[in-house]
Amino acid sequence: MGAVLGIVIKGFLVQQVTLGLASFCTWVERKGSALIQDRVGANRAGTNLYVGEFLKTDVFLLKPFAFIVRNLLLRPAFAVFRFLGSIGVINTLLNDALKALLKEDFVPAGTNLFLHALGPFMAVFPVFLAFGVIPLAPDVQIFDTVIRFQVAEISTGLLFLLAMGSIAVYGVVIAGWTGNNKFSLLGALRAAAQMISYELAMGVVFATVVLHFGTFDLYRVIEMQGGSIANWGVFFMFPTGFLCFLILFIVGMAETKRGPFDLPESESELVAGYFTEYSGMKFLLFWLGEFAEIALFAIVLATFFFGGWHIPFVEFPAGEWWAALIGHAVFIGKVLFFCVLQITIRWTLPRFRYDQLMNLGWKMLLPLSIVNLIVAAAVKLSL
Amino acid sequence: MPLVFVILSALLIASAVGVILFRNPIHSALCLVVNLVGVACVFAALEAHFLAVVQVIVYAGAIMVLVVFVLMLLNSKTEERTLSGVIQLVLSGIIGGCLVSVVGPFIIEQWPIVAREEPPISGSVEALGKVLYTDYIFPFETAGFLVMAALVAAAMLAKTKGGDPNHPRISEGKNDGTIQAGGEQ
Repeated sequence: MGAVLGIVIKGFLVQQVTLGLASFCTWVERKGSALIQDRVGANRAGTNLYVGEFLKTDVFLLKPFAFIVRNLLLRPAFAVFRFLGSIGVINTLLNDALKALLKEDFVPAGTNLFLHALGPFMAVFPVFLAFGVIPLAPDVQIFDTVIRFQVAEISTGLLFLLAMGSIAVYGVVIAGWTGNNKFSLLGALRAAAQMISYELAMGVVFATVVLHFGTFDLYRVIEMQGGSIANWGVFFMFPTGFLCFLILFIVGMAETKRGPFDLPESESELVAGYFTEYSGMKFLLFWLGEFAEIALFAIVLATFFFGGWHIPFVEFPAGEWWAALIGHAVFIGKVLFFCVLQITIRWTLPRFRYDQLMNLGWKMLLPLSIVNLIVAAAVKLSL
Repeated sequence: MPLVFVILSALLIASAVGVILFRNPIHSALCLVVNLVGVACVFAALEAHFLAVVQVIVYAGAIMVLVVFVLMLLNSKTEERTLSGVIQLVLSGIIGGCLVSVVGPFIIEQWPIVAREEPPISGSVEALGKVLYTDYIFPFETAGFLVMAALVAAAMLAKTKGGDPNHPRISEGKNDGTIQAGGEQ
Protein backbone atom coordinates (compact mmCIF):
# COMPACT_ATOMS: atom_id res chain seq x y z
CA MET A 1 0.00 0.00 0.00
CA GLY A 2 2.82 2.37 0.88
CA ALA A 3 4.53 1.70 -2.42
CA VAL A 4 1.33 2.40 -4.36
CA LEU A 5 0.77 5.63 -2.43
CA GLY A 6 4.36 6.68 -3.16
CA ILE A 7 3.87 6.08 -6.87
CA VAL A 8 0.61 8.04 -6.87
CA ILE A 9 2.31 10.99 -5.14
CA LYS A 10 5.28 10.81 -7.51
CA GLY A 11 2.94 10.61 -10.49
CA PHE A 12 1.09 13.69 -9.29
CA LEU A 13 4.35 15.62 -8.84
CA VAL A 14 5.67 14.60 -12.26
CA GLN A 15 2.33 15.65 -13.74
CA GLN A 16 2.82 19.09 -12.21
CA VAL A 17 6.33 19.30 -13.68
CA THR A 18 4.96 18.31 -17.09
CA LEU A 19 2.15 20.86 -16.98
CA GLY A 20 4.55 23.51 -15.70
CA LEU A 21 6.99 22.93 -18.53
CA ALA A 22 4.14 22.87 -21.08
CA SER A 23 2.78 26.15 -19.69
CA PHE A 24 6.22 27.68 -19.83
CA CYS A 25 6.53 26.63 -23.48
CA THR A 26 3.10 28.14 -24.21
CA TRP A 27 4.15 31.42 -22.66
CA VAL A 28 7.48 31.47 -24.52
CA GLU A 29 5.61 30.66 -27.72
CA ARG A 30 3.25 33.64 -27.31
CA LYS A 31 5.59 36.22 -25.84
CA GLY A 32 8.80 34.98 -27.47
CA SER A 33 7.24 34.96 -30.93
CA ALA A 34 6.22 38.57 -30.34
CA LEU A 35 9.80 39.38 -29.39
CA ILE A 36 11.14 37.71 -32.54
CA GLN A 37 8.59 39.39 -34.80
CA ASP A 38 9.06 42.79 -33.16
CA ARG A 39 5.53 42.89 -31.75
CA VAL A 40 4.40 43.63 -28.19
CA GLY A 41 2.52 40.39 -27.65
CA ALA A 42 0.05 39.54 -24.91
CA ASN A 43 0.23 42.27 -22.23
CA ARG A 44 -3.32 43.30 -21.30
CA ALA A 45 -5.16 40.62 -19.35
CA GLY A 46 -5.14 41.28 -15.62
CA THR A 47 -3.52 44.71 -15.86
CA ASN A 48 -6.72 46.58 -14.96
CA LEU A 49 -6.85 45.06 -11.50
CA TYR A 50 -6.76 47.85 -8.90
CA VAL A 51 -7.89 47.64 -5.32
CA GLY A 52 -9.47 51.12 -5.43
CA GLU A 53 -12.55 51.48 -3.22
CA PHE A 54 -12.66 47.77 -2.62
CA LEU A 55 -13.55 46.74 0.96
CA LYS A 56 -13.76 50.34 2.22
CA THR A 57 -16.21 50.40 5.09
CA ASP A 58 -17.83 52.90 7.50
CA VAL A 59 -18.36 50.37 10.22
CA PHE A 60 -15.79 51.28 12.84
CA LEU A 61 -15.18 47.77 14.10
CA LEU A 62 -14.55 46.39 10.63
CA LYS A 63 -12.13 49.15 9.63
CA PRO A 64 -8.88 47.60 10.83
CA PHE A 65 -9.87 44.24 9.34
CA ALA A 66 -10.66 45.78 5.96
CA PHE A 67 -7.44 47.79 6.09
CA ILE A 68 -5.35 44.67 6.69
CA VAL A 69 -7.07 42.70 3.95
CA ARG A 70 -6.82 45.56 1.46
CA ASN A 71 -3.25 46.61 2.03
CA LEU A 72 -1.48 43.48 3.10
CA LEU A 73 -3.36 40.89 1.07
CA LEU A 74 -5.15 42.31 -1.95
CA ARG A 75 -2.72 45.07 -2.89
CA PRO A 76 0.36 42.82 -3.19
CA ALA A 77 -1.68 40.05 -4.81
CA PHE A 78 -3.10 42.45 -7.39
CA ALA A 79 0.36 43.90 -8.00
CA VAL A 80 1.68 40.42 -8.74
CA PHE A 81 -1.31 39.79 -11.02
CA ARG A 82 -0.72 43.07 -12.86
CA PHE A 83 2.93 42.21 -13.34
CA LEU A 84 2.13 38.71 -14.60
CA GLY A 85 -0.51 40.19 -16.90
CA SER A 86 1.91 42.73 -18.30
CA ILE A 87 4.31 39.97 -19.34
CA GLY A 88 1.49 37.88 -20.82
CA VAL A 89 1.33 35.06 -18.29
CA ILE A 90 -2.31 35.64 -17.28
CA ASN A 91 -3.38 35.79 -20.89
CA THR A 92 -1.70 32.54 -21.90
CA LEU A 93 -2.44 30.45 -18.85
CA LEU A 94 -5.70 31.73 -17.37
CA ASN A 95 -7.62 33.46 -20.14
CA ASP A 96 -6.85 30.98 -22.91
CA ALA A 97 -7.76 28.00 -20.75
CA LEU A 98 -10.97 29.63 -19.51
CA LYS A 99 -11.93 30.66 -23.01
CA ALA A 100 -11.35 27.14 -24.30
CA LEU A 101 -13.41 25.64 -21.47
CA LEU A 102 -16.36 27.95 -22.11
CA LYS A 103 -16.37 27.54 -25.87
CA GLU A 104 -18.86 25.35 -27.69
CA ASP A 105 -17.52 21.86 -28.22
CA PHE A 106 -18.24 21.51 -31.91
CA VAL A 107 -18.38 18.00 -33.36
CA PRO A 108 -18.70 17.56 -37.13
CA ALA A 109 -21.83 15.78 -38.34
CA GLY A 110 -21.73 12.07 -39.07
CA THR A 111 -18.53 11.31 -37.25
CA ASN A 112 -17.87 8.78 -34.53
CA LEU A 113 -18.28 10.61 -31.22
CA PHE A 114 -16.10 8.26 -29.22
CA LEU A 115 -13.18 8.40 -31.64
CA HIS A 116 -13.57 12.15 -32.00
CA ALA A 117 -13.04 12.50 -28.25
CA LEU A 118 -10.29 9.87 -28.26
CA GLY A 119 -8.14 11.84 -30.72
CA PRO A 120 -7.01 14.68 -28.43
CA PHE A 121 -6.78 12.25 -25.52
CA MET A 122 -4.36 10.04 -27.44
CA ALA A 123 -2.35 13.11 -28.44
CA VAL A 124 -1.71 13.98 -24.79
CA PHE A 125 -1.74 10.65 -22.98
CA PRO A 126 1.44 8.97 -24.39
CA VAL A 127 3.50 12.12 -23.87
CA PHE A 128 2.42 12.40 -20.23
CA LEU A 129 3.06 8.69 -19.77
CA ALA A 130 6.58 9.04 -21.16
CA PHE A 131 7.38 11.51 -18.37
CA GLY A 132 6.86 8.64 -15.94
CA VAL A 133 10.20 6.99 -16.72
CA ILE A 134 12.27 10.16 -16.49
CA PRO A 135 14.32 10.71 -13.33
CA LEU A 136 13.93 14.38 -12.50
CA ALA A 137 16.39 14.74 -9.62
CA PRO A 138 19.12 12.78 -7.84
CA ASP A 139 18.07 10.33 -5.12
CA VAL A 140 17.21 11.58 -1.66
CA GLN A 141 17.78 9.53 1.44
CA ILE A 142 15.36 10.11 4.29
CA PHE A 143 16.28 7.98 7.31
CA ASP A 144 16.72 4.56 5.75
CA THR A 145 14.59 4.85 2.64
CA VAL A 146 16.02 6.09 -0.62
CA ILE A 147 13.54 8.09 -2.66
CA ARG A 148 14.02 8.17 -6.40
CA PHE A 149 12.26 10.94 -8.31
CA GLN A 150 11.06 8.67 -11.06
CA VAL A 151 7.56 7.19 -11.19
CA ALA A 152 8.37 3.91 -12.94
CA GLU A 153 11.79 2.51 -12.14
CA ILE A 154 11.88 0.17 -15.12
CA SER A 155 15.15 -1.04 -16.59
CA THR A 156 14.07 -0.24 -20.15
CA GLY A 157 13.17 3.41 -19.71
CA LEU A 158 14.97 4.45 -22.87
CA LEU A 159 12.95 2.06 -25.03
CA PHE A 160 9.76 3.13 -23.26
CA LEU A 161 10.29 6.66 -24.61
CA LEU A 162 10.52 5.21 -28.12
CA ALA A 163 7.36 3.15 -27.56
CA MET A 164 5.39 6.17 -26.39
CA GLY A 165 6.68 8.15 -29.36
CA SER A 166 5.27 5.55 -31.71
CA ILE A 167 1.94 5.41 -29.87
CA ALA A 168 1.62 9.19 -30.17
CA VAL A 169 0.96 8.83 -33.90
CA TYR A 170 -2.53 7.45 -33.17
CA GLY A 171 -3.79 10.68 -31.64
CA VAL A 172 -3.02 12.56 -34.82
CA VAL A 173 -4.31 9.80 -37.10
CA ILE A 174 -7.60 9.37 -35.23
CA ALA A 175 -8.11 13.12 -35.00
CA GLY A 176 -7.57 13.59 -38.71
CA TRP A 177 -9.83 10.73 -39.64
CA THR A 178 -12.75 11.65 -37.38
CA GLY A 179 -12.60 15.23 -38.58
CA ASN A 180 -14.69 13.99 -41.52
CA ASN A 181 -12.96 16.55 -43.64
CA LYS A 182 -10.40 16.37 -46.41
CA PHE A 183 -8.10 18.94 -44.90
CA SER A 184 -7.85 17.15 -41.59
CA LEU A 185 -7.38 13.76 -43.27
CA LEU A 186 -4.58 15.11 -45.46
CA GLY A 187 -2.98 16.67 -42.39
CA ALA A 188 -3.20 13.37 -40.53
CA LEU A 189 -1.67 11.46 -43.45
CA ARG A 190 1.17 13.95 -43.63
CA ALA A 191 1.71 13.79 -39.87
CA ALA A 192 1.72 9.98 -39.80
CA ALA A 193 4.15 9.74 -42.73
CA GLN A 194 6.42 12.35 -41.16
CA MET A 195 6.43 10.78 -37.71
CA ILE A 196 7.07 7.27 -39.04
CA SER A 197 9.89 8.51 -41.28
CA TYR A 198 11.70 10.38 -38.56
CA GLU A 199 11.17 7.65 -35.97
CA LEU A 200 13.69 5.48 -37.86
CA ALA A 201 16.54 7.92 -37.45
CA MET A 202 15.47 8.41 -33.82
CA GLY A 203 15.66 4.67 -33.19
CA VAL A 204 19.17 4.45 -34.63
CA VAL A 205 20.31 7.42 -32.53
CA PHE A 206 18.83 5.77 -29.42
CA ALA A 207 20.77 2.61 -30.32
CA THR A 208 23.99 4.65 -30.52
CA VAL A 209 23.28 6.20 -27.13
CA VAL A 210 22.65 2.75 -25.64
CA LEU A 211 25.88 1.54 -27.22
CA HIS A 212 27.80 4.27 -25.46
CA PHE A 213 26.22 4.04 -22.03
CA GLY A 214 25.63 0.30 -22.08
CA THR A 215 22.26 0.59 -20.33
CA PHE A 216 18.59 1.33 -21.00
CA ASP A 217 18.15 2.78 -17.53
CA LEU A 218 17.80 6.55 -17.71
CA TYR A 219 18.94 7.04 -14.13
CA ARG A 220 22.20 5.27 -14.84
CA VAL A 221 22.62 7.21 -18.07
CA ILE A 222 22.59 10.43 -16.07
CA GLU A 223 24.71 8.96 -13.29
CA MET A 224 27.47 8.06 -15.75
CA GLN A 225 27.75 11.66 -16.92
CA GLY A 226 28.85 13.06 -13.54
CA GLY A 227 32.25 14.56 -12.79
CA SER A 228 34.22 16.03 -15.67
CA ILE A 229 32.45 17.75 -18.55
CA ALA A 230 34.13 15.21 -20.85
CA ASN A 231 31.70 12.62 -19.48
CA TRP A 232 28.75 14.41 -21.04
CA GLY A 233 27.04 12.57 -23.86
CA VAL A 234 27.79 15.23 -26.51
CA PHE A 235 31.50 14.71 -26.07
CA PHE A 236 31.61 10.91 -26.17
CA MET A 237 33.66 9.41 -29.00
CA PHE A 238 33.87 12.75 -30.75
CA PRO A 239 32.25 13.45 -33.17
CA THR A 240 29.71 10.62 -32.95
CA GLY A 241 28.14 11.97 -29.76
CA PHE A 242 27.75 15.45 -31.18
CA LEU A 243 26.28 14.03 -34.38
CA CYS A 244 23.82 12.02 -32.29
CA PHE A 245 22.75 15.19 -30.52
CA LEU A 246 22.35 17.08 -33.79
CA ILE A 247 20.29 14.32 -35.43
CA LEU A 248 18.11 13.86 -32.36
CA PHE A 249 17.50 17.60 -32.15
CA ILE A 250 16.32 17.75 -35.78
CA VAL A 251 14.26 14.57 -35.36
CA GLY A 252 12.73 16.04 -32.21
CA MET A 253 11.60 19.14 -34.09
CA ALA A 254 10.05 16.91 -36.77
CA GLU A 255 8.41 14.53 -34.30
CA THR A 256 6.75 17.37 -32.43
CA LYS A 257 5.53 18.62 -35.82
CA ARG A 258 6.99 22.01 -35.04
CA GLY A 259 9.17 24.61 -36.56
CA PRO A 260 10.09 24.18 -40.17
CA PHE A 261 8.44 20.73 -40.03
CA ASP A 262 4.85 21.87 -39.39
CA LEU A 263 3.49 20.57 -42.69
CA PRO A 264 0.71 18.54 -40.99
CA GLU A 265 -0.92 21.78 -39.88
CA SER A 266 0.30 24.14 -42.58
CA GLU A 267 -2.37 26.79 -42.31
CA SER A 268 -1.89 28.18 -45.81
CA GLU A 269 -2.89 24.90 -47.45
CA LEU A 270 -4.78 22.77 -44.91
CA VAL A 271 -6.65 25.31 -42.71
CA ALA A 272 -5.20 23.78 -39.53
CA GLY A 273 -4.36 20.25 -40.61
CA TYR A 274 -5.41 17.33 -38.48
CA PHE A 275 -7.17 19.37 -35.78
CA THR A 276 -9.23 21.51 -38.18
CA GLU A 277 -12.52 20.14 -36.81
CA TYR A 278 -11.69 20.53 -33.14
CA SER A 279 -12.64 23.42 -30.92
CA GLY A 280 -12.57 24.44 -27.29
CA MET A 281 -10.72 22.31 -24.81
CA LYS A 282 -10.17 19.46 -27.26
CA PHE A 283 -8.31 21.84 -29.55
CA LEU A 284 -6.29 23.08 -26.60
CA LEU A 285 -5.37 19.50 -25.66
CA PHE A 286 -3.54 19.13 -28.98
CA TRP A 287 -1.51 22.19 -28.10
CA LEU A 288 -0.86 20.91 -24.61
CA GLY A 289 0.34 17.61 -26.05
CA GLU A 290 2.56 19.40 -28.52
CA PHE A 291 4.16 21.60 -25.88
CA ALA A 292 4.58 18.67 -23.51
CA GLU A 293 6.31 16.88 -26.38
CA ILE A 294 8.67 19.83 -26.84
CA ALA A 295 9.49 19.65 -23.14
CA LEU A 296 9.93 15.87 -23.38
CA PHE A 297 12.42 16.18 -26.22
CA ALA A 298 14.27 18.89 -24.32
CA ILE A 299 14.43 16.52 -21.33
CA VAL A 300 15.70 13.68 -23.54
CA LEU A 301 18.43 15.92 -24.96
CA ALA A 302 19.46 17.09 -21.50
CA THR A 303 19.43 13.51 -20.21
CA PHE A 304 21.37 11.86 -23.01
CA PHE A 305 23.84 14.54 -23.95
CA PHE A 306 24.10 17.27 -21.33
CA GLY A 307 24.59 15.45 -18.08
CA GLY A 308 21.06 15.66 -16.66
CA TRP A 309 21.32 17.27 -13.23
CA HIS A 310 25.14 17.32 -13.12
CA ILE A 311 27.16 20.51 -13.04
CA PRO A 312 30.61 19.85 -14.57
CA PHE A 313 33.42 19.42 -12.01
CA VAL A 314 31.00 19.86 -9.10
CA GLU A 315 30.12 16.87 -6.96
CA PHE A 316 27.29 17.03 -4.46
CA PRO A 317 27.03 14.60 -1.57
CA ALA A 318 24.64 11.78 -2.42
CA GLY A 319 21.27 11.56 -0.70
CA GLU A 320 21.06 15.14 0.57
CA TRP A 321 17.77 16.92 -0.03
CA TRP A 322 19.40 20.25 -0.90
CA ALA A 323 21.65 18.54 -3.43
CA ALA A 324 18.54 17.03 -5.04
CA LEU A 325 16.91 20.46 -5.10
CA ILE A 326 19.92 22.07 -6.80
CA GLY A 327 20.20 19.12 -9.16
CA HIS A 328 16.54 19.43 -10.13
CA ALA A 329 16.95 23.17 -10.73
CA VAL A 330 20.00 22.57 -12.94
CA PHE A 331 18.15 19.87 -14.86
CA ILE A 332 15.09 22.04 -15.42
CA GLY A 333 17.37 24.92 -16.42
CA LYS A 334 18.92 22.82 -19.17
CA VAL A 335 15.47 21.65 -20.25
CA LEU A 336 14.13 25.21 -20.43
CA PHE A 337 17.14 26.20 -22.56
CA PHE A 338 16.32 23.53 -25.14
CA CYS A 339 12.60 24.42 -25.04
CA VAL A 340 13.42 28.04 -25.84
CA LEU A 341 15.88 26.96 -28.53
CA GLN A 342 13.25 24.81 -30.27
CA ILE A 343 10.66 27.58 -30.16
CA THR A 344 13.19 30.14 -31.43
CA ILE A 345 14.00 27.92 -34.41
CA ARG A 346 10.30 27.45 -35.07
CA TRP A 347 9.75 31.19 -35.33
CA THR A 348 12.91 31.79 -37.37
CA LEU A 349 12.95 29.25 -40.19
CA PRO A 350 10.37 29.03 -42.99
CA ARG A 351 8.46 25.80 -43.63
CA PHE A 352 9.99 22.98 -45.67
CA ARG A 353 8.53 21.67 -48.89
CA TYR A 354 7.17 18.14 -48.57
CA ASP A 355 9.84 16.51 -50.77
CA GLN A 356 12.55 18.35 -48.82
CA LEU A 357 11.09 16.97 -45.61
CA MET A 358 11.11 13.39 -46.90
CA ASN A 359 14.59 13.75 -48.43
CA LEU A 360 15.98 15.09 -45.16
CA GLY A 361 14.52 12.21 -43.22
CA TRP A 362 15.23 9.30 -45.52
CA LYS A 363 18.25 10.36 -47.55
CA MET A 364 20.21 12.38 -45.02
CA LEU A 365 19.35 11.74 -41.39
CA LEU A 366 18.79 7.97 -41.64
CA PRO A 367 22.02 7.11 -43.54
CA LEU A 368 23.97 9.58 -41.40
CA SER A 369 22.68 8.02 -38.19
CA ILE A 370 23.44 4.49 -39.42
CA VAL A 371 27.01 5.45 -40.40
CA ASN A 372 27.28 7.15 -37.03
CA LEU A 373 26.17 3.96 -35.29
CA ILE A 374 28.70 1.86 -37.18
CA VAL A 375 31.54 4.29 -36.43
CA ALA A 376 30.56 4.41 -32.77
CA ALA A 377 30.45 0.61 -32.63
CA ALA A 378 33.89 0.35 -34.26
CA VAL A 379 35.38 2.89 -31.86
CA LYS A 380 33.74 1.14 -28.91
CA LEU A 381 35.18 -2.22 -30.01
CA SER A 382 38.68 -0.85 -30.50
CA LEU A 383 38.74 0.85 -27.09
CA MET B 1 -1.31 -9.86 -9.36
CA PRO B 2 -4.48 -11.73 -10.28
CA LEU B 3 -6.70 -8.62 -10.32
CA VAL B 4 -4.51 -6.93 -12.93
CA PHE B 5 -4.59 -10.11 -14.98
CA VAL B 6 -8.38 -10.37 -14.78
CA ILE B 7 -8.85 -6.77 -15.91
CA LEU B 8 -6.35 -7.18 -18.73
CA SER B 9 -7.92 -10.45 -19.88
CA ALA B 10 -11.35 -8.86 -20.02
CA LEU B 11 -9.89 -6.01 -22.08
CA LEU B 12 -8.07 -8.44 -24.37
CA ILE B 13 -11.14 -10.57 -25.02
CA ALA B 14 -13.38 -7.55 -25.55
CA SER B 15 -10.96 -5.95 -28.00
CA ALA B 16 -10.41 -9.25 -29.83
CA VAL B 17 -14.16 -9.65 -30.28
CA GLY B 18 -14.30 -6.05 -31.41
CA VAL B 19 -11.78 -6.72 -34.16
CA ILE B 20 -14.15 -9.27 -35.68
CA LEU B 21 -17.47 -7.59 -35.03
CA PHE B 22 -16.89 -3.99 -36.11
CA ARG B 23 -18.14 -3.21 -39.60
CA ASN B 24 -15.76 -0.33 -40.19
CA PRO B 25 -12.25 -1.63 -40.92
CA ILE B 26 -10.65 1.32 -39.10
CA HIS B 27 -12.59 0.54 -35.93
CA SER B 28 -11.41 -3.06 -36.19
CA ALA B 29 -7.81 -1.93 -36.66
CA LEU B 30 -8.02 0.34 -33.61
CA CYS B 31 -9.43 -2.56 -31.60
CA LEU B 32 -6.44 -4.62 -32.69
CA VAL B 33 -4.17 -1.83 -31.43
CA VAL B 34 -5.90 -2.00 -28.04
CA ASN B 35 -5.43 -5.77 -28.08
CA LEU B 36 -1.70 -5.53 -28.86
CA VAL B 37 -1.12 -2.91 -26.18
CA GLY B 38 -3.07 -5.12 -23.78
CA VAL B 39 -0.73 -8.02 -24.50
CA ALA B 40 2.17 -5.66 -23.81
CA CYS B 41 0.55 -4.82 -20.46
CA VAL B 42 0.36 -8.55 -19.65
CA PHE B 43 4.08 -8.82 -20.42
CA ALA B 44 4.76 -5.84 -18.17
CA ALA B 45 2.70 -7.43 -15.37
CA LEU B 46 4.91 -10.52 -15.71
CA GLU B 47 7.99 -8.31 -15.18
CA ALA B 48 9.09 -8.81 -18.80
CA HIS B 49 9.58 -5.09 -19.41
CA PHE B 50 11.72 -5.45 -22.49
CA LEU B 51 9.21 -7.69 -24.26
CA ALA B 52 6.39 -5.33 -23.31
CA VAL B 53 8.14 -2.29 -24.72
CA VAL B 54 9.22 -4.10 -27.89
CA GLN B 55 5.65 -5.35 -28.35
CA VAL B 56 4.42 -1.76 -28.28
CA ILE B 57 7.18 -0.43 -30.54
CA VAL B 58 6.95 -3.15 -33.19
CA TYR B 59 3.29 -4.13 -33.29
CA ALA B 60 1.29 -1.21 -31.95
CA GLY B 61 3.73 1.48 -33.01
CA ALA B 62 4.97 0.36 -36.41
CA ILE B 63 2.82 -2.33 -38.00
CA MET B 64 -0.59 -1.12 -36.86
CA VAL B 65 0.18 2.50 -37.70
CA LEU B 66 0.92 1.35 -41.23
CA VAL B 67 -2.31 -0.69 -41.33
CA VAL B 68 -4.40 2.24 -40.11
CA PHE B 69 -2.57 4.54 -42.51
CA VAL B 70 -3.36 2.33 -45.50
CA LEU B 71 -6.99 1.84 -44.42
CA MET B 72 -7.42 5.59 -44.15
CA LEU B 73 -5.79 6.19 -47.52
CA LEU B 74 -7.87 3.62 -49.38
CA ASN B 75 -11.00 4.23 -47.29
CA SER B 76 -12.99 1.24 -48.48
CA LYS B 77 -16.63 1.75 -47.62
CA THR B 78 -18.16 -1.44 -48.95
CA GLU B 79 -17.17 -4.88 -47.82
CA GLU B 80 -15.60 -6.99 -50.52
CA ARG B 81 -16.38 -10.68 -50.21
CA THR B 82 -13.96 -13.02 -51.90
CA LEU B 83 -16.11 -16.01 -51.03
CA SER B 84 -19.87 -16.35 -50.80
CA GLY B 85 -21.49 -16.13 -47.38
CA VAL B 86 -22.22 -19.85 -47.00
CA ILE B 87 -18.70 -21.01 -47.95
CA GLN B 88 -17.21 -18.40 -45.61
CA LEU B 89 -19.43 -19.56 -42.76
CA VAL B 90 -18.51 -23.23 -43.28
CA LEU B 91 -14.78 -22.47 -43.61
CA SER B 92 -14.68 -20.30 -40.50
CA GLY B 93 -16.64 -22.98 -38.64
CA ILE B 94 -14.09 -25.64 -39.58
CA ILE B 95 -11.09 -23.48 -38.65
CA GLY B 96 -12.70 -22.35 -35.39
CA GLY B 97 -13.65 -25.94 -34.56
CA CYS B 98 -10.03 -27.05 -35.13
CA LEU B 99 -8.80 -24.35 -32.76
CA VAL B 100 -11.32 -25.24 -30.05
CA SER B 101 -10.57 -28.97 -30.37
CA VAL B 102 -6.87 -28.28 -29.84
CA VAL B 103 -7.12 -25.74 -27.02
CA GLY B 104 -10.30 -27.02 -25.35
CA PRO B 105 -9.03 -30.35 -23.93
CA PHE B 106 -5.98 -28.56 -22.63
CA ILE B 107 -8.06 -26.10 -20.66
CA ILE B 108 -10.39 -28.84 -19.34
CA GLU B 109 -7.40 -30.87 -18.22
CA GLN B 110 -5.84 -27.96 -16.35
CA TRP B 111 -9.11 -26.70 -14.78
CA PRO B 112 -9.28 -24.94 -12.34
CA ILE B 113 -6.43 -22.75 -13.58
CA VAL B 114 -4.22 -21.40 -10.81
CA ALA B 115 -1.19 -19.17 -11.00
CA ARG B 116 2.07 -21.01 -10.48
CA GLU B 117 4.11 -20.01 -7.48
CA GLU B 118 7.29 -19.61 -9.49
CA PRO B 119 9.39 -16.49 -9.87
CA PRO B 120 8.57 -14.62 -13.07
CA ILE B 121 10.65 -15.35 -16.14
CA SER B 122 13.74 -13.21 -16.35
CA GLY B 123 12.99 -10.86 -19.22
CA SER B 124 16.05 -8.67 -18.80
CA VAL B 125 17.73 -7.20 -21.84
CA GLU B 126 21.09 -8.82 -21.03
CA ALA B 127 19.66 -12.34 -20.79
CA LEU B 128 17.67 -11.92 -23.97
CA GLY B 129 20.63 -10.49 -25.89
CA LYS B 130 22.93 -13.31 -24.77
CA VAL B 131 20.46 -15.99 -25.85
CA LEU B 132 19.73 -14.23 -29.11
CA TYR B 133 23.38 -13.87 -30.09
CA THR B 134 24.61 -17.32 -28.95
CA ASP B 135 21.99 -20.07 -29.01
CA TYR B 136 19.71 -18.53 -31.62
CA ILE B 137 22.21 -16.69 -33.78
CA PHE B 138 21.28 -18.50 -37.02
CA PRO B 139 17.50 -18.13 -36.76
CA PHE B 140 18.02 -14.51 -35.73
CA GLU B 141 20.27 -13.70 -38.67
CA THR B 142 17.99 -15.60 -41.05
CA ALA B 143 15.02 -13.54 -39.88
CA GLY B 144 17.02 -10.37 -40.43
CA PHE B 145 17.98 -11.51 -43.90
CA LEU B 146 14.36 -12.33 -44.75
CA VAL B 147 13.16 -8.91 -43.62
CA MET B 148 15.87 -7.25 -45.70
CA ALA B 149 14.89 -9.28 -48.76
CA ALA B 150 11.24 -8.36 -48.23
CA LEU B 151 12.21 -4.69 -47.98
CA VAL B 152 14.13 -4.77 -51.26
CA ALA B 153 11.29 -6.66 -52.94
CA ALA B 154 8.73 -4.12 -51.72
CA ALA B 155 10.85 -1.26 -53.04
CA MET B 156 11.12 -3.03 -56.42
CA LEU B 157 7.36 -3.64 -56.59
CA ALA B 158 6.53 -0.05 -55.70
CA LYS B 159 8.66 1.32 -58.53
CA THR B 160 6.90 2.39 -61.72
CA LYS B 161 7.83 0.79 -65.01
CA GLY B 162 9.45 3.52 -67.07
CA GLY B 163 7.40 6.27 -65.42
CA ASP B 164 8.52 9.07 -63.20
CA PRO B 165 10.63 7.41 -60.50
CA ASN B 166 9.74 10.16 -58.05
CA HIS B 167 6.06 9.26 -58.09
CA PRO B 168 5.58 5.62 -57.23
CA ARG B 169 2.32 4.00 -58.19
CA ILE B 170 0.07 3.49 -55.18
CA SER B 171 -2.60 1.30 -56.69
CA GLU B 172 -4.17 0.42 -60.00
CA GLY B 173 -7.77 0.41 -61.07
CA LYS B 174 -9.92 0.25 -57.96
CA ASN B 175 -8.94 3.51 -56.34
CA ASP B 176 -9.60 6.49 -58.57
CA GLY B 177 -6.92 8.50 -56.81
CA THR B 178 -9.20 10.67 -54.72
CA ILE B 179 -8.86 10.65 -50.98
CA GLN B 180 -12.07 10.63 -49.02
CA ALA B 181 -12.50 11.70 -45.45
CA GLY B 182 -13.62 9.26 -42.81
CA GLY B 183 -16.75 8.98 -40.75
CA GLU B 184 -20.09 7.43 -41.55
CA GLN B 185 -21.72 9.67 -44.07
